Amino acid sequence: MPPDASAIALPRGSRLGHAIGQNIGLILGIAILLLAILGFVLVYGLEQRRLPGNFELTTTINSAMPLVFSAVGQTFVVLTKGIDLSVGGVVDLANAMAAVTMGKTLGSALFWSVVILLVGAACGLVNGLLVALGRLQPIVVTLGTLSIFQGLAIRVLPQPGGAIPPAFTDLLVNPNEPWALIFIVLLGFGWAAFRRSRPGVDLYAIGNDEAAARALGIDILRTKIIAYVLDGVLAAAAGLFLAATATAGDATTGDSYTLTSIVAVVLGGVSLFGGRGSAIGAIAGALITTLIVNILFFGHVDPLFQSFYEGVFLLIAVIAGGVIGGAIRRRR
Amino acid sequence: MNAMTRVLPRLAPESWRVVYAFLAAIVLFLIGEAVHPGFLGLASVETVLVIASFVGLVAAGQCFVVLIGGIDLSVPWVLNAGAVLLTTTSLGLDSRAPLAIVVTLGFGLLAGAANGVGVAWFGVPAVVMTLAMNGIVEGLVLGLTGGFTCAACSSYAPPLIQHLAHGDLLGVPAALWLWVGIIVLVSAVLSITRFGRATYALGNNPRAAALAGVNVNGTTILLYAASGLFSALAGIMLVGFGGQASLGMGDPYLFTSIAAVVIGGVNILGGRGYYLGAAAGAVSLTVLVSVLLALNMPDYVRSIVYGVVILALLLAYGRETES
Repeated sequence: MPPDASAIALPRGSRLGHAIGQNIGLILGIAILLLAILGFVLVYGLEQRRLPGNFELTTTINSAMPLVFSAVGQTFVVLTKGIDLSVGGVVDLANAMAAVTMGKTLGSALFWSVVILLVGAACGLVNGLLVALGRLQPIVVTLGTLSIFQGLAIRVLPQPGGAIPPAFTDLLVNPNEPWALIFIVLLGFGWAAFRRSRPGVDLYAIGNDEAAARALGIDILRTKIIAYVLDGVLAAAAGLFLAATATAGDATTGDSYTLTSIVAVVLGGVSLFGGRGSAIGAIAGALITTLIVNILFFGHVDPLFQSFYEGVFLLIAVIAGGVIGGAIRRRR
Repeated sequence: MNAMTRVLPRLAPESWRVVYAFLAAIVLFLIGEAVHPGFLGLASVETVLVIASFVGLVAAGQCFVVLIGGIDLSVPWVLNAGAVLLTTTSLGLDSRAPLAIVVTLGFGLLAGAANGVGVAWFGVPAVVMTLAMNGIVEGLVLGLTGGFTCAACSSYAPPLIQHLAHGDLLGVPAALWLWVGIIVLVSAVLSITRFGRATYALGNNPRAAALAGVNVNGTTILLYAASGLFSALAGIMLVGFGGQASLGMGDPYLFTSIAAVVIGGVNILGGRGYYLGAAAGAVSLTVLVSVLLALNMPDYVRSIVYGVVILALLLAYGRETES
């Protein structure tokens, strides 16, 4: 694309205008989240004749947790201009391992959680090595490893079952109070720290222009592997949350997180073309996706039509986001 | 080495990948015979190829969109909807079969064209557009059939179509004739028509293609429409083969069709590759699954070996050349 004058000129507007232009995806994502919260409160209020309270907040947050974690994991890879189809497989594997290993006490559950997160890191490492060293496209690498991780998960837990200690469930997804929000806040702080670290800056550089990043001396191999390993760890954490919510394991329920994590990332304004977006947006996207399901439920929409409305909503959000974002960028 | 290069025909790397894909299919057949004698019997090979043809049909559409750097994630439910439409429209009657086929293929064409419109006109990323379409069609199929409880839902495919999927013509299964026809047609469209050249040009560099006078939007929409058409066609053939439609019958075809295309040497970023390779990829994957089934491997081993073989084949000849 030939650089035209407007593209290389310094931003004319204020610093605020510049910030809005740079983070338009994130801002739109948060706007959609606010709309979704409003929509949920309205539908719930009309249906139940009262405002949603602590219980609704707790169940919504708890059910969103696996998606929040898998979407943030997906973000790291999408920022490098990649995509991770194996997220669902890692969630499956972590979920299955949790159900088999955790036993009855909180101590053993926590010990095995660490092991499971390390297994997730190993899964991510395999993806990262194949992409960065093997020079294969991320989509095909993770297509292959998806199948492998799913197979391993079924090997670990052939039939749904196993058990999760209640203390572990109380710790991760307390059914009475929305304590799980703490994990979301921690995730946000973790992201903020990563974003300012060397690998964080390098990640954006690679996503924007890999050749230029290489020319600047950025270690592409190391940065990509870090992205995939973090992705694997977070997908494994998603599996732990899923197990804690279900209080038992199933080696296939995690499959859906491959596609829903991509949806959440897109709704949160992370560009699938790399280099643009943030994990905060992905968290917003995950909450939006969960709220939409709740809105449809309380709106008495036939559950059989659920995926129809989800699909329509995704399209409207993405198309409207593109139109509004484009208009704002043109005005500047 | 020089003697080697003189003897071997000069082929572009993409063409070599088609050759490798065929070699992989042949090697997998031989491994099948080695571990399960009788695997190379005529009837067994025919069955494997017929099953591969279903993957191959979907892969034809997938190949079209991958060639322009796109992807079609709406395959599972467009295929499934096709199968459901065929049985519910025909009600198992031969007299209604032509109408049902037209309705089904028309639906596939429309769903695919809608994908193309979203990608081309609205600039929605292909992953998002086709994923949303998959959800939309899934919701419509589930909702309109009342969770597949409708009276017409249990209809069988008309005998005519069952015969098409099972019958023989000159000793060769009719499904294979259809596939060979599609291979010739798709390859011809891609290599000798203006449309085919526009497709490759678009995949290599959309801006340059537009400047060279390629109708970018029109070509994109047509390619996605073709992908929807092929998914619906695969739905017709599958329901003819199995007799009845079922929910979720399209699910295995999403990742398999993408895997077939990339194993066949088509560049996932677009612009390079041939459908002939994707067809060989479809055969390879089907042979692999058949061998593992013949060996009575448990589910998890099949899943793991499947992934390992895909990665091994890609590492062997599917790597990006360093630029």
